[in-house]
Amino acid sequence: MKAFELFAAENADHAVAILAKHAATAKVKVIAGGTDLLADWKFSPHGPDVVVDISRADELKNIAVNEQGLVIGSMVTHSQIMKSPVIRQMFPALVHAAHTIGAVQTRNRGTLGGNLVTAVPSMDSGPTLMALEAIVTVIGATGRRQVPLSEFFLGPRKTILKPDELLAEIIIPKANLGKPTHFYKFGLRKGQALALVNAAASFWVDWDKNVFVAPRVALGAVAPKVIRAPQAEAFLEGRKITPEAMEEAGRIAVNDARPITDFRASADYRKNLVAVLTKRCIEGAYELAQKQRQEGTNGNGNA
Amino acid sequence: MVTVTLKVNGKTRSATVPPETTLLRMLRDQFDLTGAKLGCDVGDCGACTVIVDGQPVNSCLMLAGQSEGCEVLTIEGLADIDHMHPLQKLFEHFGSLQCGFCGPGVIMSAKALLDANSNPCTQEIRDALGGNLCRCTGYSKMIEAIKGAACIMRGEELPAVK
Repeated sequence: MKAFELFAAENADHAVAILAKHAATAKVKVIAGGTDLLADWKFSPHGPDVVVDISRADELKNIAVNEQGLVIGSMVTHSQIMKSPVIRQMFPALVHAAHTIGAVQTRNRGTLGGNLVTAVPSMDSGPTLMALEAIVTVIGATGRRQVPLSEFFLGPRKTILKPDELLAEIIIPKANLGKPTHFYKFGLRKGQALALVNAAASFWVDWDKNVFVAPRVALGAVAPKVIRAPQAEAFLEGRKITPEAMEEAGRIAVNDARPITDFRASADYRKNLVAVLTKRCIEGAYELAQKQRQEGTNGNGNA
Repeated sequence: MVTVTLKVNGKTRSATVPPETTLLRMLRDQFDLTGAKLGCDVGDCGACTVIVDGQPVNSCLMLAGQSEGCEVLTIEGLADIDHMHPLQKLFEHFGSLQCGFCGPGVIMSAKALLDANSNPCTQEIRDALGGNLCRCTGYSKMIEAIKGAACIMRGEELPAVK
């Protein structure tokens, strides 16, 4: 690995101060769990000059509900997401998505923030959070800013983060707390596989009319970044919930995807997967909605 | 250079290493703890698995500097010359390892599982070993051994082997 200077930030503010000091003159990288970065740097001559370790920044490790919504700190690991009572209750899809990432060892170190900042189009945290219209908080020397996750990604391994900024938290807006959501990943194996395609669907149900309300569909690994499927969403909005509508939404979602052919799968195969996965996500979210209704909860614990 | 002080297998250890040193390199090269193996070096094979603050991690994907103040348990911390850990006894009993290269990682993953779950089902064991690749013995005998070790650690008799 190329030599670098390592700074252990004591907290988020300290990390921002170190970034501000070095970002203009050196290639600086923030390291969280390191499961992706270290694997990269070992085989690249283009590693960083300065590394800021934020793994001790405890204020980035919280999971809490506040007036804005469900706030997940960027240093929260995938294992912590799987164990969090509040996330398990509100969003089983996030728990399931976290479980599909890597293996136990990577989930124990790898963080939600790291998964997003890496900005790999097949990231398994992406679709669920995109379908739930997540917002991210970015901090830097000039202060904090919040942007929708959909605007955070620019392309493969590219985000809006400036060299002196870091991702601090991921927020699922209050209006979407407990919204029935389902995530589905298709990889070549169950363990340690990258997604050929992954997807999530999220919607409320108007039980009087039995129609989709505020449907959101998100797709991964079929475009340069995680995307929403606006045509499928428009089709579902206000439509009667039927197996045929779910299947048709899957077919329409294919038009929203722009997959490529690579050594893992062909573009055509991925398009077929988009149709099937979208349908299954809608089915899964509907099942969850029915379960929550039977239990008299909407996932956020309120009747 | 960074100076790292941590607890390894119950003892406080300290080393001064280049910042880009991984925890695995430090364990092997500074502390002569060569139980954790350098396999793929990118977090796929799990041969470098050690337990850090109670959690199994790939020590090849953690900077030595990130382990400052941590408690690290390696395969060398499980047994002494007179007493093997039940997992080690049962891996021997069932012939769960052939070449043995993956063994230290597999056993540390299993140890972390049994610390958290005293009676795991087959699927839970498979999930716990999902990040440990074995290319010669296969996993069936490991799963048998882990179930057996769990029995013994619960204070039960080992069920008769068919």
